[in-house]
Amino acid sequence: MISKIHCTAIKGIDGFLVSVETDVSAGLPTFSIVGLPDTEVKESKDRVASAIRNSGFSFPLKKITVNLSPAKIKKSGSHYDLAIAIGILSATNQLSENAKEKISTSVFVAELGLDGHIKPASGILPMLMAIKEGKGKQINSVFLSYDNLNEAIISKTQPFCPISLKDLVYFLEGNLTADKLLNTTAAISNEEEKLEVHGLDFSEVKGQSLAKRALEIAAAGSHNILLSGPPGTGKSMLAKRFNTILPPLTHDEALEITRVYSVCNLLGKTKFMDERPFRDPHHTISDIALVGGGSNPRPGEVTLAHNGVLFLDEFAEFSRASLEVLRQPMESFNVTISRAKESVNFPSKFTLIAAMNPCPCGHNGQAERMCRCTPAQINRYKGKISGPLLDRIDLAINLNPVKYGDWKKLSEGESSTNIKERVVKARDIQVERFKNSKTTANAFMTNKEMKQFCKLPDDAGSVLENAMRKLGLSARSLDKILKTARTIADLEGEPDIKSSHIIEVFQYRTMDRKGVAE
Amino acid sequence: MTTKMELSQQERLARIQLNAFTYLRADWFYKLIEVFGSAENILKQTPMALAESKIISLDSAKNLLKEAKTLNPDEEIAKTEKVNGKILLLEDEDYPESLKTLKEPPLVLYIRGNFNPQAIKVAVVGTRKITPYGKRCADKISADLSCAGIVVVSGLARGIDSTAQKAAVALNKPTYSVVGTGIGRCYPAENRKLATEILDNGGAIISELPFDKPPLPFHFPRRNRIIAGLSMFTAVIEGEEKSGALITAKLALEQGKDVFAVPGPIDSLQSGGTNMLIRDGATPLFSGQDIIDAIPMEFQKNIVVEDSKSKEEKSINIANLSDIEKQTLELIASSELSLDDIVNKLNINVSEASTLLFNLEVKGILASKDGLYSKNKFFSY
Repeated sequence: MISKIHCTAIKGIDGFLVSVETDVSAGLPTFSIVGLPDTEVKESKDRVASAIRNSGFSFPLKKITVNLSPAKIKKSGSHYDLAIAIGILSATNQLSENAKEKISTSVFVAELGLDGHIKPASGILPMLMAIKEGKGKQINSVFLSYDNLNEAIISKTQPFCPISLKDLVYFLEGNLTADKLLNTTAAISNEEEKLEVHGLDFSEVKGQSLAKRALEIAAAGSHNILLSGPPGTGKSMLAKRFNTILPPLTHDEALEITRVYSVCNLLGKTKFMDERPFRDPHHTISDIALVGGGSNPRPGEVTLAHNGVLFLDEFAEFSRASLEVLRQPMESFNVTISRAKESVNFPSKFTLIAAMNPCPCGHNGQAERMCRCTPAQINRYKGKISGPLLDRIDLAINLNPVKYGDWKKLSEGESSTNIKERVVKARDIQVERFKNSKTTANAFMTNKEMKQFCKLPDDAGSVLENAMRKLGLSARSLDKILKTARTIADLEGEPDIKSSHIIEVFQYRTMDRKGVAE
Repeated sequence: MTTKMELSQQERLARIQLNAFTYLRADWFYKLIEVFGSAENILKQTPMALAESKIISLDSAKNLLKEAKTLNPDEEIAKTEKVNGKILLLEDEDYPESLKTLKEPPLVLYIRGNFNPQAIKVAVVGTRKITPYGKRCADKISADLSCAGIVVVSGLARGIDSTAQKAAVALNKPTYSVVGTGIGRCYPAENRKLATEILDNGGAIISELPFDKPPLPFHFPRRNRIIAGLSMFTAVIEGEEKSGALITAKLALEQGKDVFAVPGPIDSLQSGGTNMLIRDGATPLFSGQDIIDAIPMEFQKNIVVEDSKSKEEKSINIANLSDIEKQTLELIASSELSLDDIVNKLNINVSEASTLLFNLEVKGILASKDGLYSKNKFFSY
């Protein structure tokens, strides 16, 4: 006998429908799975066999062949267990005709325990979204583990959540009413956790008004920013509080991120990513882990930071390879990973916060402490950040240590809520400005949009000329300067860019300013 | 130890060849000449024969001959002439007199550009790790001297050296660089442009090393004796207590020449060496005029009396500044401040502070480095 069960799979971060075909025929007892399964899928055999036996059904001592179709796409994950088990039960006629009919319009996505318990799988959200989007028109019921219920609700699907294989079969046979398996009580509430995550606030950072202002601008226009300064100046402290001033996610944005986290099995207790992600990988990270890859391509940190923040502390300590691979995702806002048979696309629209010391020992340029580095060492250290990479960073500032005497006198800083209010206002202006285009923030403006929205003020000519000459700013950085000036104007609610906005941007362009001691 | 004599062309080539051995000291060399008659003969000896003279060790003798044989003197001359340079031997008429009296005079001098042995020369040296204060001072002293017709001699290194030489070049005045590489090279590479400008403005680049010699650490303390030797005085702008600049000062004192030092803040590492020099008897240096005044009467006629203030400096008119700008300047006068400091001390916002500092910076009054602002030019109220 043969049976056909629906299941789903993931390619990149998109789900698609897979049919699990099971053939049970006479012959020596074997059990094989075909259709490019990886080890996780192959191990399914032992789990399925035990689960069937331990649920009170018989496991056929016959030749069993399971085909995962379409057969040319690689399959991975443990979520095929349930579909395979149901397939075997169906093919060996352990289910009634009535149940078989129900099965044909259902999809089963879950892992099985040896005792027949139904366990959660990763990537449920994009799989269900694929079904919603109409990739499986014939499907009208979804079976998954109770632990995946939240993701189902996010995708606006009402699934059935049986506890075990036995329960499921009872239900299919009509011996169990639907309401036992339908569970709608799992409300998505992150409120408590939100408080836990934060507890961080900009008001805790005293002084560093320049850095705070720069971060406010970065948040408002989604600009990438480089913080440079000796250890202990508050680079990480500031970066970690950056999330508290970012504008809230839209529902679509949140859904996009939740999909990514679902695929990576990183949702955990969070259930729904209604907070912008903040990723801070260690500097020993490989280039693959940063942008994604592997034989079965998985998203990297840049994708996990999608619609959020990628914080690279000790920026110059990252390997050159890791830093250079960042260029493409920063430019095109997605990562394409190509393999011989397929290529997948991951989104990667993030705000980069990079932090670094001014030199390997960290004390260069400080009056109080002697820098031990030779000029050649410093050049090598700074040289690790290549020109093309620096070109993608709009704001760069130097932080200086706050002296204890000054620190004591400083009053508490402005609270995140206040700053966020201004950021949101500025972002609203941008949303209105770009309502007819794909652009979402000033940092992503196209050349055409720049021409339209970044008109130079009349008296800017002399300001720019002076700056170019005296500060040694390059013409190449002019675009970045204008984009940033546009954001400052937005923060101040000004319809036009003014000279004072441009002048302020010069403070944030330390990377292309001539230093004193060259 | 030197006897006046015309050297044959062959002998010249042999001496250029022997100079390839960078450890060859003049006193050894002349003792060897006494024993073997000529440089040509030295080259013909075996290492054993040279060592038997008891002047140099066997190892040194081996290295001397080995290194000498890797150098083609004809090529050296050709390369030097190609860049409009010349090679001077210690025996030559136009070899600088002031170097001849050194304990260890360079046997060979490669000179590129326009070297005037008669010019009054003053060494301006200092740390590579320059502070804004050091930059202002080097700039001012070098400009003062250059305007008075004095040639600034320095080492083309990073920091004080290049600042001092840049200041001379900016005024289109000659300046001499004594480098720690062959004259065919430039170290550090970022000063290549400066080296060209020095040559374009009638200056010279001088070295005792073979044309293509790379920069090796031990070259630098040795070239300092030439800097001190060429110059009438040595001015140290900034330097740590143990630094190359202090070696130059020590060598100058050994040569019986006056040392000037710019006093600095007592808590600044870069002024540690200069303050120590002053305590030990060096003349405190407040302006180029201090050096000009110290020049003996017979040379005073060479001094040009010219207004030493550069054009830029003249254009700075403190009186025209706004009150807040003056206030900012007063704050920054004593130390380096960041924009944050200005924000806190003047109680203004980042945006206002940006405009304020930008205006002062484009006027040339302030300079910024790594987010810290300091006075750009030397000026007093």
